[in-house]
Amino acid sequence: MRLFRRTGAIALSALVVSTFLVTPAAAEEVVTRPETFVATASARALYLELLGIKVSAGTSGIEITSAPSAKATGAGLLLASGTVSTVETTAAGQQKAPPKACVLNIDPPLLNLLGLQTACGEARVDSTTGAPQAFAKGEVLGLTLGGAQLLAILQPVLDALVPVLDQTLGSVTGLLQPLLGPLLQPLLGTLDLNAPVSSLLDRLDEVTALANVTVGTSTSEGASSATAITSTAIARGGEINLLPGLAVGGAPLLQIIVGSSKATSSFDRGAARSTPSFDAAIARVRSPLLGLDLPIALNAPLDLNLGILRLQVSLGAGRTITNADGSVGAVADGVSIALTTPLGSIILQLAHAESGIGGQGRLVAQQQVVEPVAQLAKTGGDPWLPMVGFVLLLAAFTTRRLVVARPGGDSRPVDH
Amino acid sequence: MLINLLRTHRWVRLSLSGLSVVLLLGGVGLVGYPFFTNAWQGRIQTQLDDQLVSPELQQAYKEGKVETGDSLTRIRIPALDVDVVVVEGITPSALRAGAGHYPQTALPCELGNVAIAGHRTTYGRPFGNLDQLKAGDTIDLITPVGACQYKISKAPFVTPPTELGVIQPTDNKTVTLTTCHPKGSAAQRLIVQATWVQDIKAA
Repeated sequence: MRLFRRTGAIALSALVVSTFLVTPAAAEEVVTRPETFVATASARALYLELLGIKVSAGTSGIEITSAPSAKATGAGLLLASGTVSTVETTAAGQQKAPPKACVLNIDPPLLNLLGLQTACGEARVDSTTGAPQAFAKGEVLGLTLGGAQLLAILQPVLDALVPVLDQTLGSVTGLLQPLLGPLLQPLLGTLDLNAPVSSLLDRLDEVTALANVTVGTSTSEGASSATAITSTAIARGGEINLLPGLAVGGAPLLQIIVGSSKATSSFDRGAARSTPSFDAAIARVRSPLLGLDLPIALNAPLDLNLGILRLQVSLGAGRTITNADGSVGAVADGVSIALTTPLGSIILQLAHAESGIGGQGRLVAQQQVVEPVAQLAKTGGDPWLPMVGFVLLLAAFTTRRLVVARPGGDSRPVDH
Repeated sequence: MLINLLRTHRWVRLSLSGLSVVLLLGGVGLVGYPFFTNAWQGRIQTQLDDQLVSPELQQAYKEGKVETGDSLTRIRIPALDVDVVVVEGITPSALRAGAGHYPQTALPCELGNVAIAGHRTTYGRPFGNLDQLKAGDTIDLITPVGACQYKISKAPFVTPPTELGVIQPTDNKTVTLTTCHPKGSAAQRLIVQATWVQDIKAA
């Protein structure tokens, strides 16, 4: 009997404890939080601030967000309304590209000889695929010198000279080809080293102009693809392109840039991580045909305190910023000179570019599901349970009596 | 003869002894079931009381992210001396708290029909005497962000369990209480409906 009571007490305790320890059931499923991002870029080719008077030329700026929204502003001269183009979209499925806003715009080039744009602003946005894109450009001066007619006039002369030149130069380059061919070929692309002049002339067919000259140009671009969001700002004080289109990929024979800055921020949508970068130079000389890319830069900015004056100079320098929330930014200056005086600031900037991006990736989370109910909640019932309990208790008592019963009807417990 | 069989076969005696223990345990468990659930509900309510006034729950409530089983609102029915915390959800585990909010329905004091289910015979039986309510009695709901009062518009009525129309959205602020009917049975549902009267200061 003692064993019976002990076992019963232990099991009863276990039953009570287990009743209290039952964990709540929860219906869960995987849900996602939408991705969010904001990407900005702004650039200005020329900026002058003189004791509170500010002049900006060749400015551009964009912003794209995950809303999706996109806006862009390009200006030849920021204060001249006729040179400013602004456009914005705040919903998916839209595409806007208003005409350029220019003081003077000769495009296509007059007589195929002279194209001219002065103080132009350009902006366009696109969210047709749900992925926002924005582009803006500001330019103070753009000059195109056409060359097709000039080349046609020179054609008879060239026809006479080319075979001779080919033979002379071809014999030299032919000898050098085994030695320098592997080195030159990637630079020269499809240029035939055995007939370099005629091959070069063939390339002239691809030339779009004799030269392009631009002054105070900036572009800002925001792009989103399936894998990344990118904001890029580029500013150039002045640029000369000789024979654009001559080299592979449409590059010019020679490119000279004065004041060059580029700031890029990108957001990796898969890893939800942002990365900034910049590239700045006081001047840059490039020639893809000759494999030349020569930046001139003084990477370390100067910051001098001269008594009541403070001089900050940044020549071909930049910096990146990474914030605690994961957003990043990049700033680049071709030339930036700032003098702070008690009367105010004097600032001169040539090719200033900024970009920034911040984002939050999609979040996959466990969330409880609200399922439709089939009937009103069951909050009662099972009244038979206590009754069944009484029956079981009676059966337990009866069984126990049988176990301890003695033959002849004596039901006193058996001594062990 | 049976007694002799028990005397001569030890294994029979042991088997019967074991069976009697099992029967005893089962019987005690089933007889004590309502008492266990009441004790369990009391313990849960203590935790829910604390949770209802926590800043975390207040934030979750504002964001509409109260999870199943968490405190949602307090319901007070003065006529029945009911004062319990209602949890979010009507899953069996959530309803161990005594009363749960149908998650498909409006939040307390907001526009629409707030539906709340409560136990009638076990788990503290907060809606045990719901049938005693009458038109004009009041129901107070105290949420983490405010409180309001509803007045019962008509006498409690009985519906089949599948009558989901009583928890459908309404154009005005209403509250619907559901519980099983008759007591101890889940064959039908007892329904009480009330209409918003005023916002009140949470006490």
